Amino acid sequence: MNTKTKSLKTKSFIMQERSFPLRGFDFKTYSTLLALVGLFIILAIITKGDFVSARNFTNLTRQIAVNGILAVGMTMVILTAGIDLSVGSVVALSGIVAGLLQVKLGLSMWGISGAIISTIAGAATGMLCGAINGGLIAVFRIPPFVITLGMMVIAAGAALIFSGSQAISPMSAEFTTIAKGMLSKGMTITLGGGLAFLWLAGVVSRTRNRTQKWPALVTTLALEIVVLAFPLYAFTTDRGLPYPVAILIILAVVCIWGLKNLPFGRFIYAVGGNEEASELSGISVVKVKWPVYAIMGLLAGLSGVILTARLNSASPTIGTMMELDAIAAVVIGGTSLMGGMGTIGGSVIGAFLIGTLNNGMDLMDINSNYQMVIKGIIIIFAVWSDAKTKKKSA
Amino acid sequence: MEIGTSKMPLLRTEKIKKNFGGVQALKGVDFYINQGEALALVGENGAGKSTLMKIISGVYPQGQYEGRIYLEDKLAEFSGTKDAEKSGVAIIHQELNLFPELTVAENIYLSHLPKNKWGKINYAKLFEDAGKILLELGAGFSPKDRVEDLNTGNQQMVEIAKALSLKAKILILDEPTSSLTNQEIEKLFHVLHGLRDKGMGLVYISHKLEEVFALCERVTILRDGESVTSANLKDMTEHDVISHMVGRELCELYPAKQVIESNLPIKDVAFEVRNWSAFKSTEGKYRVKDVSFQAYRGEILGFAGLMGAGRTDLLLSLFGHSKYESKGEIYIDGKHVHITHPKDAKNLGMGLVTEDRKKNGLHLEFSISENIMMAGLGMDSAFEAINYQNVGHLVETLVNKLHIKIPGPMFPVKSLSGGNQQKVAIAKWLAINPKVLFLDEPTRGIDVGAKYEIYTLLNKLVDEGVCVIIASSELPEILGICNRVIVMREGQLVATLNGASMTQEKIMQAEVGVI
Repeated sequence: MNTKTKSLKTKSFIMQERSFPLRGFDFKTYSTLLALVGLFIILAIITKGDFVSARNFTNLTRQIAVNGILAVGMTMVILTAGIDLSVGSVVALSGIVAGLLQVKLGLSMWGISGAIISTIAGAATGMLCGAINGGLIAVFRIPPFVITLGMMVIAAGAALIFSGSQAISPMSAEFTTIAKGMLSKGMTITLGGGLAFLWLAGVVSRTRNRTQKWPALVTTLALEIVVLAFPLYAFTTDRGLPYPVAILIILAVVCIWGLKNLPFGRFIYAVGGNEEASELSGISVVKVKWPVYAIMGLLAGLSGVILTARLNSASPTIGTMMELDAIAAVVIGGTSLMGGMGTIGGSVIGAFLIGTLNNGMDLMDINSNYQMVIKGIIIIFAVWSDAKTKKKSA
Repeated sequence: MEIGTSKMPLLRTEKIKKNFGGVQALKGVDFYINQGEALALVGENGAGKSTLMKIISGVYPQGQYEGRIYLEDKLAEFSGTKDAEKSGVAIIHQELNLFPELTVAENIYLSHLPKNKWGKINYAKLFEDAGKILLELGAGFSPKDRVEDLNTGNQQMVEIAKALSLKAKILILDEPTSSLTNQEIEKLFHVLHGLRDKGMGLVYISHKLEEVFALCERVTILRDGESVTSANLKDMTEHDVISHMVGRELCELYPAKQVIESNLPIKDVAFEVRNWSAFKSTEGKYRVKDVSFQAYRGEILGFAGLMGAGRTDLLLSLFGHSKYESKGEIYIDGKHVHITHPKDAKNLGMGLVTEDRKKNGLHLEFSISENIMMAGLGMDSAFEAINYQNVGHLVETLVNKLHIKIPGPMFPVKSLSGGNQQKVAIAKWLAINPKVLFLDEPTRGIDVGAKYEIYTLLNKLVDEGVCVIIASSELPEILGICNRVIVMREGQLVATLNGASMTQEKIMQAEVGVI
């Protein structure tokens, strides 16, 4: 038996992994991406090309960026088998705090330094809310659903109290730059080149450690080229890369890298996969969950600042239902609500799918009430098809 | 019951084949079971026993395997477990499939509750029918009892009752005795013999050969996905069965013990515990009371005791599990240490292979590689990038060292057999080069060959200077590999035995409290 074991083993490291045809092919993520491309084509035909114009695309991505940023944080929360329902309220509260500093404290007169202080204060407010969530969830082991539901109501109330139930404006021009500004075309090309380089490096290693059959790999790569090249074309021919999109890209790249390459990232998956086994492997569950909720809060705070800057006005009801859009993006992106399985890339694509759908339905003059119904159906369909593909592969 | 003159088997399979990824789990197995027969199905982990039974019981439906199944000589193509049940094939899995909050009767009839014409459950009939079945089994509990209030032995009876309620002709039992006491096992065998005499065909999967000989008439032995022999047990010895299973002559179940030289000037204490008590907050009581012991370098120390004696609680609380509020002192190499979380224990060079690898020992859905790295990852800093090349080398080294049979390091751990899963659970701790290694039930539910390999590995670790402490409910295992045994009863130490005083009788006496 021993000799048999040995021969099997040497082989297993070299060959057997490759003989499994679909290994490494993230079907769920790519099917969402295909759906997104399909939606773009349909909308392009309906609007006779207006939809895919560089200008419309740039505006569209700027709108979607906020939900994308929230979806990045929400992915990590859901990977730990948690949920954060307070996101929308925290977005509003953070925006109000930043707005109050600008308007009531007069930081809008301070130019760039005032804008930076307001931004940091808004983000810090979000992070504080997230840290409170995380602390209660991790240390006292109270279900996240309950804690964040409480925080949702508290933050919504606090936003109304601080603002006196009124919108606060105007902000300084420097402050609104975070939402309205654009990276120059030169910088955009540089950043795009950097991303293309990272992508190429990825292609090289994927080709070398090929776990898919060639046709699968080539299809995947072709799809990725289209999806990466079109935005690059749009941003460089229009006005450049909007700051919120740049922020989303940087956050997504950092978090995707961290989830794969930092022990902390692996712990996020581990805790969601089996909490007790993780604890008994000497992983401090508190030190995983707490930061994850704090990061979610930080991203919510940042989103609040960006939204306030984009609208040039802080409103206490600005974030209503935003948590649901973020959760929907994560779920459409293929992350399991049970925790332990999913990707940030999928969630960002999910956010783009929802945002594109919203924008497309606006362009097609569909009544917003019907839009809600259609969106709901799509979320249910996404989860259903996800469950179906998982069952098939099992 | 009379058996028909034409000796037609109840069920037989023809050339059953099944692949998982690139691994061929079954390579054309022919198998049969007669009416009124108790058949033992044995083989090492990964030999294909569970896979074969899953095919016969419809877990893998028609189309997911090659080959044919005949039920009383008619071709059977099950579309799922329900279909198989309807045709009279029932399976009782190792992990019981019961709803603890429901009553016994509801559990028995859950899939086919008696209803009146409006669809309301007819409770009177439900309890009456369930009562009849329980009476037939000679069970000592009521159909109205809640399943969570029953002990494991009686829960097993509920599973059997469930099969009877479905009018099963073939009953498959997968390791039914792994968590039963000797008394409960005796009771179970009595019931099973009764069912066999009434004409039921029993397929009994077990690693415990004495049980196989006590219960069954015939044995089918699988090895590497093939049926190597099928013979009457009265013509065989345990030795024969084992050599068929492993395909080699296995003279000993246990490797030679490392001998501690009693003439060493001073015994080297590697791990010491003083006045350790552990309070389990969920139960509101002390599970470990004032325990003190020393473990020496170069020995395997065993903890014996009945179920609930506190072996597992002792190990978990020493390891810093949050379920316990503990007090007492721990010394590693003579140094007083404080452990408030498994992370502290890990950083001090301790490892714990848990009792139940599926529940809290492994991340079943995760890859083999990820599981092996689970403890070693991020010990210095959680924010220092992982070097995947080093990870790959370490995983490969450990897979080779422990002879883990895997299709590839990226496959999920749940695709492995029990013995290989257990090796992954051990490899996880070897990855941190532990000084002290706890193993709770190190060989639960795994086959002789894998057991022997694990014992050999433990001896090797002891040789390398690791302090190995095991807890086990299997006395032969304790006697076979431990140099010294500590017996626990109701959370306390009652005896420490070594050398000639370490006998099955002495340990038993201490466990039940006659000394």
